[in-house]
Amino acid sequence: MESRIGREAPEGSRKFLVGIGRGAAGALLFGLPMLMTMELWQLGFYMERSRLLLLVLVNIPLLIALAHRVGFEKTYTLAQACRDAAIAYGLGIVMSALILVLLGDIKTSMPMSEIIGKISIQAVAASIGALLGRSQLADHTGSGGDQDDDGGKGEDAVRDRMSGNYGHELFLMAVGALFLNLNIAPTEEIILISYKMTAWHALFAIVASIAIMHAFVYAVAFKGTHQMSAAAPRWHVLVRFTLPGYVVAMAVSFFVLWLFGRLDGKAVSQMVMSSIVLSFPGAIGAAAARLIL
Amino acid sequence: MPSPSSIEDREAHWVEWATGCVSALLVLSMIGFIFFEAVTDGHKPPDLGIVITSRNPVAGGYRVTFDIANRSTATAAGVVVRGEILNGGNPLETTDVTFDYVPAESKSTGVILFSQDPGDRGIRIRATAYTDP
Repeated sequence: MESRIGREAPEGSRKFLVGIGRGAAGALLFGLPMLMTMELWQLGFYMERSRLLLLVLVNIPLLIALAHRVGFEKTYTLAQACRDAAIAYGLGIVMSALILVLLGDIKTSMPMSEIIGKISIQAVAASIGALLGRSQLADHTGSGGDQDDDGGKGEDAVRDRMSGNYGHELFLMAVGALFLNLNIAPTEEIILISYKMTAWHALFAIVASIAIMHAFVYAVAFKGTHQMSAAAPRWHVLVRFTLPGYVVAMAVSFFVLWLFGRLDGKAVSQMVMSSIVLSFPGAIGAAAARLIL
Repeated sequence: MPSPSSIEDREAHWVEWATGCVSALLVLSMIGFIFFEAVTDGHKPPDLGIVITSRNPVAGGYRVTFDIANRSTATAAGVVVRGEILNGGNPLETTDVTFDYVPAESKSTGVILFSQDPGDRGIRIRATAYTDP
């Protein structure tokens, strides 16, 4: 692998194969924690099929939008983004199936519904991993950089895409939250923690989530750190970016918990509590996505 | 590496402020809701009530479906529910089922399978034990 990462003349097919390899590696890297979680195997057969269908369908536009951002190749057109999304989803399915077979979790004696169910849940996170793997494991020294729209150099292109960029930020936060949530939501610990916490714990958890999210992006100088403007007061950025980000993380948490049937038959206060618990990692995922992607 | 023009530096679009204000409102109302719960929480122990929703014979036995509701604000874990067919006050057949959780102010559904049709004998279903989560 190392020899391939080095700069080289772009020969079409070889470059594409390297991309596939990175995607597969990303699917493994990001998918393995879920592939080795018992609750997800079980969800494969007891999850309500209409919700599973929704999850599998929602993943398609999500992958296309994400592909447009990070891409297997540097994509600019919708068709290219669709192609890359399809490749990532395909890789996710293949890698999930292979690993589940390797782990002895899929056997030929099982009903088709169980096999497909198990693979399709895993394929969602693995396909996001495949796209991210392509982007994060890739060589950024090549010309063109990594499409970082923050580096638009103040030309009119930046101005044109202004509101688009804002939606983009929120979208990235949703993807980051979704990714961490998919890993954590199926475990029983999330509901157990929400039962152990009192309302006071929950209040502190909200404040802590927002504070960590804000600090992650603005205080800690990671790669791609967002800069606060010197002119505007600090709370402007909190209201414009961090709070909407937290609401996005909250909404994604709620959606994922509902998908996995963790909210069924519960009172509103219990639903909110579980969502707050899951939003804690979700908020960190959202903040990380803003920095990394 | 400060980038020359990060997204935060630009003049904010009104949509950003609108989204920000709606979000702030949502977060504050959620905090308010939980604060209200925190203040009004009476620390009552779990309060479990059971209602039989259906009973019908099945192959090799008799099925009784019931709802178990927890009216308190405290969650009960490891709730053991015992179903009995009563013969003049004495249990004729006893079957247990355990719920991992019965969350606060929420409802779960369970089923008890007896090996025989109780006929006109009485059925008693009650929670016998629980732990704190």
